[in-house]
Amino acid sequence: MSLPKRIIKETERLVNDPAPGISAVPHDDNLRYFDVAITGPEGSPFEGGIFKLELFLPEEYPMSPPKVRFLTKIYHPNIDKLGRICLDILKEKWSPALQIRTVLLSVQALLSSPNPDDPLATDVAKHYKEDEKGAQNVSREWTRQYAS
Amino acid sequence: MDGVLASILPLLRPDSKSKMSDPEAFRKKQVLFLRGDSEDEDERRPQLPPDDTSLAPADADPPASSADEAMQVDDELKSKETPVVTDNVEDVNNEPPETEELEAPKEPAKRKPNFFVDSDDEEEEKKPEELPLFPPLPQPSPPPRKKARLDPNEPTPPPIIRAAYLGEFIVDNAFATLSGKGNIKPGDTIHIMRDYPHDPRAPVIKEGSSSNTKNGKGMQQSKLEFTAKSSIKPMKKEKTAIMRFENTKRIEIGRFPPAVSEWMAKLIDLDVIHFQGCTVVDCPPKLRLGSHILLSIKVFIQPSAFKNHITIDDDAPRAAFQEDKETEGEKSLRARKAALLALFKTVGLRPNKSSALGKSAAQLQEDDMEKMVKMTNEPKTPDHMSSAEASDDEGVSGLTDAEDDVAVDEENDEEELTDNQLNVIYRKAQQNDQSMIEMEPPAEFALTLRGYQKQALHWMSSMELGTAGREVKSLHPLWEEYIFPPEPGDDGLIDLTLEEDNYFYFNPYSGELTLDFPRSERTCRGGILADGKLFIARLRRRAYVLSLSSLGMGKTIQMISLILTNRTYPPELEEADQELAAKNKKPLRLGNAFEVLGDRAPRKRTNSTLIIAPTSLLNQWETEIQRACEKGTLKTLVWHGSTRLDLEDALEDGEGVDVVITSYGVLGSEWSKQRRSRTNYRSSLFKTEWLRIVLDEAHHTKSRTSISARAVYDLSSKWRWALTGTPIVNRLEDLYSLLKFLDFTPWSSYSFFRSFITIPFTKRDPKAVEIVQVILENVLLRREKTMRDKNGKMIVELPEKEVAVDYLEFSDLERKIYDSIYGEVKSNFDRLNARGLIGKNYTHILAMIMKLRRAVLHPSLVTAKEAHDSQDSDDEIVEVKDVKSIALEEMIKRFASGDTKTGSSSTDKFAQAALKELAEQEEQECRICLTVKDDNVLIPECFHSCCKDCILSYLAKCRENKEVGNCPMCRRAPLKETDLLDVVRHKSDQSGPSNDDGDDGAEGSSSTDIVLRRNDFQSSTKLNALMQHLKRIRDQDPCFKAVVFSQFTSFLDLIEIVLKRDRFDYERFDGTMSIKQKKAAVDRFTASSRKPKIFVVSLKAGGVGLNLTTANHVFMMDCWWNAAVESQAVDRVHRIGQNKTVYVRQFLISRTIEGRILKIQKRKTAIVKEAFRGRGAGANQESLENLKIMFDDDDDDGVVEK
Repeated sequence: MSLPKRIIKETERLVNDPAPGISAVPHDDNLRYFDVAITGPEGSPFEGGIFKLELFLPEEYPMSPPKVRFLTKIYHPNIDKLGRICLDILKEKWSPALQIRTVLLSVQALLSSPNPDDPLATDVAKHYKEDEKGAQNVSREWTRQYAS
Repeated sequence: MDGVLASILPLLRPDSKSKMSDPEAFRKKQVLFLRGDSEDEDERRPQLPPDDTSLAPADADPPASSADEAMQVDDELKSKETPVVTDNVEDVNNEPPETEELEAPKEPAKRKPNFFVDSDDEEEEKKPEELPLFPPLPQPSPPPRKKARLDPNEPTPPPIIRAAYLGEFIVDNAFATLSGKGNIKPGDTIHIMRDYPHDPRAPVIKEGSSSNTKNGKGMQQSKLEFTAKSSIKPMKKEKTAIMRFENTKRIEIGRFPPAVSEWMAKLIDLDVIHFQGCTVVDCPPKLRLGSHILLSIKVFIQPSAFKNHITIDDDAPRAAFQEDKETEGEKSLRARKAALLALFKTVGLRPNKSSALGKSAAQLQEDDMEKMVKMTNEPKTPDHMSSAEASDDEGVSGLTDAEDDVAVDEENDEEELTDNQLNVIYRKAQQNDQSMIEMEPPAEFALTLRGYQKQALHWMSSMELGTAGREVKSLHPLWEEYIFPPEPGDDGLIDLTLEEDNYFYFNPYSGELTLDFPRSERTCRGGILADGKLFIARLRRRAYVLSLSSLGMGKTIQMISLILTNRTYPPELEEADQELAAKNKKPLRLGNAFEVLGDRAPRKRTNSTLIIAPTSLLNQWETEIQRACEKGTLKTLVWHGSTRLDLEDALEDGEGVDVVITSYGVLGSEWSKQRRSRTNYRSSLFKTEWLRIVLDEAHHTKSRTSISARAVYDLSSKWRWALTGTPIVNRLEDLYSLLKFLDFTPWSSYSFFRSFITIPFTKRDPKAVEIVQVILENVLLRREKTMRDKNGKMIVELPEKEVAVDYLEFSDLERKIYDSIYGEVKSNFDRLNARGLIGKNYTHILAMIMKLRRAVLHPSLVTAKEAHDSQDSDDEIVEVKDVKSIALEEMIKRFASGDTKTGSSSTDKFAQAALKELAEQEEQECRICLTVKDDNVLIPECFHSCCKDCILSYLAKCRENKEVGNCPMCRRAPLKETDLLDVVRHKSDQSGPSNDDGDDGAEGSSSTDIVLRRNDFQSSTKLNALMQHLKRIRDQDPCFKAVVFSQFTSFLDLIEIVLKRDRFDYERFDGTMSIKQKKAAVDRFTASSRKPKIFVVSLKAGGVGLNLTTANHVFMMDCWWNAAVESQAVDRVHRIGQNKTVYVRQFLISRTIEGRILKIQKRKTAIVKEAFRGRGAGANQESLENLKIMFDDDDDDGVVEK
């Protein structure tokens, strides 16, 4: 199965012109599989952390969304223990006009603005809702502990 | 009279006539001899017992009375001679019918070596039903002929000889058919009898009363004069080859063993030999049934053996399928040859001299030769079968005609050649080509010849002039010289003075005998000029009908240069010819059956060249001639159609015409007319002796029984040339017809060709190929594009050709449509297959396959034709016709003035911006595939843009997910495919194509006209791919020219639509157009232009013959069964004159029938041949095989089953 031109182009652009704080490198043996690192956005509890993610482009990409998952443990209401991300554009709001770059930028934005109203990790969401400060501290703690 | 017979010299050669002491007496003797010969026949008839021949001896008349009677009937003979023949035919008809003897009524005349009946008569008798076709030939009445033969005024009387002693042999296993004592004892003379079991009139042995004391042991010995008259019905030789012998009391003693009797009977039937002075050498004192008897037989060769009574029975009505078979004449010749070889071997006669036959036949050991001969005699079962099968058709097909031939060649598969074999064959013929000398054309020649063309000119010119003048003294390569052995003990009768040159000559290949020294002579002055493809499979042939031309190597030009070079027949050649003709007045070779007719009136000499070409190429020849030589150098006349009445005048008028161009059709009809005519009408084509005859596309005559072939053989000329792309189309025998036309002896004899080439080849004998190589070396010059000259350069430097095959994927919808059609067809096929009805429903299945092939191109090609589900597609087509296009400028204006239906102003602003961007930017990257494409679409209202493919597949995905279609950029919903607006850009330096009804509206303000158009045309994968490529090429090369081939004119219609939509200039070329229209289309296309031009061509109509070198892009929209056809089409562009790299792109859809077509393409050579021709004959095994491939779902590339 040859790689669609789009994936090649996207990869080239990701490598040549990376988005700030985001790196995505495809595996040598599977060009649809990317090792992703996102730096925690400034001003967020995740600042200073480098989060590792995996990204996989399925066969139907770009007609289907890429599959993205956090590998680094993170304390975030929209990211569960397994690293799964709750983000609409990764699901029903996917559009082929989106790209790897835009997806990762969205993920980065998600770190800046957690959305406890649409939680995936319910306990974390609850914590964020009830005690945002405390929850942010846990996030910071986890970031220091796991993401640096 | 008997005394005369007895004292006849065993041998008398014509040139030794003067040595006779009394010429008058000689003449008388001869008459007597000849009469004696025929008396046998007459006396035999009344005397024969009615039915049982085995009882004949007892009832036989005493010999003396037969002699008396012979005297009596002598006078009646003259008047009776001809009727006799008819009587016999009637007799035959009266016989009780026998199953295998259905042909019997036809046969009698064929093997009838009757002294007085020559070939003309034979033909007449054989085919009473054909009589009207023949000009009433004067019936040669026997007695005058006899006189004529003896007339000293006649320039060269045919050789007159007597029965000559050939040798003696012992038969050690003759067996007795009667028992008892005293019937026979050693030393007894016996009589040999040819047995005709079914003929009431078995031959009676006439016993001569002269005594010969030399031979026997003091016993009186009777001379046996036996001549089997073949006017008595000749039997099927295989069945009735029984030879009996009797003692002097006419009691049958026994028979000869089959091994001996077979050839004996044959030779007696053919009046070649007779037996005399046969004695019993040893036998048991008491005979038992089957006892072996030792006999000594003396063989005498009959004078008639040396008569050139062999004719190829070319006129016999034969259905086309019999093309492969030999004619009756050929068959009989072959049998005769075999029998003669057996005889020579038996009597131990060895050639005194045999010339080396090239590198081929001479090396054959005698054994091989026999093997060869045996082989030729073996009944070839497949042949018989096919002729039996075919005999039903005979009545229908009647005379063969060229079209029928098409069907013919499929018979003998084993005779077909593979590419490899052809390569081998040609290799040798091309060996020395690189070092050939070049020759400059005369000054009148206006064009420049390429190196290889100059070589060709030199070769052709020397073929015409070079070898001919030389007198060759050596023995003809195919003949052997024999010495008549002296008859032992007959010293009193041998004229010793004759000994020094009593030779005779035998052609072991054709079975001919002659007393004249067969000179090695090259009668063929001409050759074959070939080029191009090794293998052009059969399907192409049908395309020939439309148009054909050289494959681009310049055969035409080379031939014109030759015409200019040798414009008259050199006198020295003339002299040589006359000399030759004088020496060889009576042509000995085969195939001169026509000359009987032709020689009646001397042919008019002319210095004109006759060119025969397919009708479609006549004008091309004319224009090429005008182009190639300076004005007025060559006067040309196209003799075709209604203008063809005054050929003779034209030839004679003033300086006359230099070149006459006519077609095979005209030639054939003139020939048939002449043949049918009762008034000795002779067409001026055949009345004229041309300087040179050129057959263009000479494979038109490859079937030797077709009318054009036979007509071509009948033309007379000094030089003969055959131009063809394919001297061997697919069987070695294809070459035969060319050789026959060239009169390249001995290969122009069919039996020879067959014995030495066709048959060995079918037996996988490598010698066959070797022989063909030798032949070709002599007559053929073949050039291919890929050949290299002595410097290793390609003889033709053609630019590169890049071929790409694009495997495309169907869109989902197309896939669905295709799969459903496929499922339907497949289940249909399976049902028929299960019931074994495929053969019967062959055409039906072919039609279904055609449907599939159309479905691959565009769904509407299938659906539009089907009434029940045509609604949508019909609409599509209709809609397409009025393409709505909106000028972008207009659109922007509308937006600016707020004249839009869309709501919020922000959208408006964005729309304005987007449109401006569109107008300013030449290219835009698609947001989905991230590439820049030409087929952008705008999404209405939000005016986001992306490429058409992407948005369509996105919308399809939405549908699949049961979502409402929306804009992938802003999610504006709902969005339907038909809402999309195509963005059509036109460079403004080109005015809008006239055939587009849309108005650009641009007032020259922007550099690019952009038109938006509703996406309402249902395109297809292939069309999209084509347009993509065309647009890409247009961007790179704004005045490119491309040729688009498809087999389906309905698909050509669709291609036209998309071209129109994208404002490409195009021309269409298909088979429905008149020649004029076609020419105009080609002219418009080839005319230089600054705009891109597309030539939309039907593969069948334009795959051959066109010269489209102005284009350098070729698109093949579909694939044909035969790859050769495709490459032939590509050669329209990739040929001499092309100076750019040629890009060829073929579009195929993966997982469709097209993959299987490719598979079939690859199978063997072109099995395809007629596999899918759908001719009435129905399907053969191979085509069924092919069909199974078409529906074999186990394939990797098979359609996915649902």
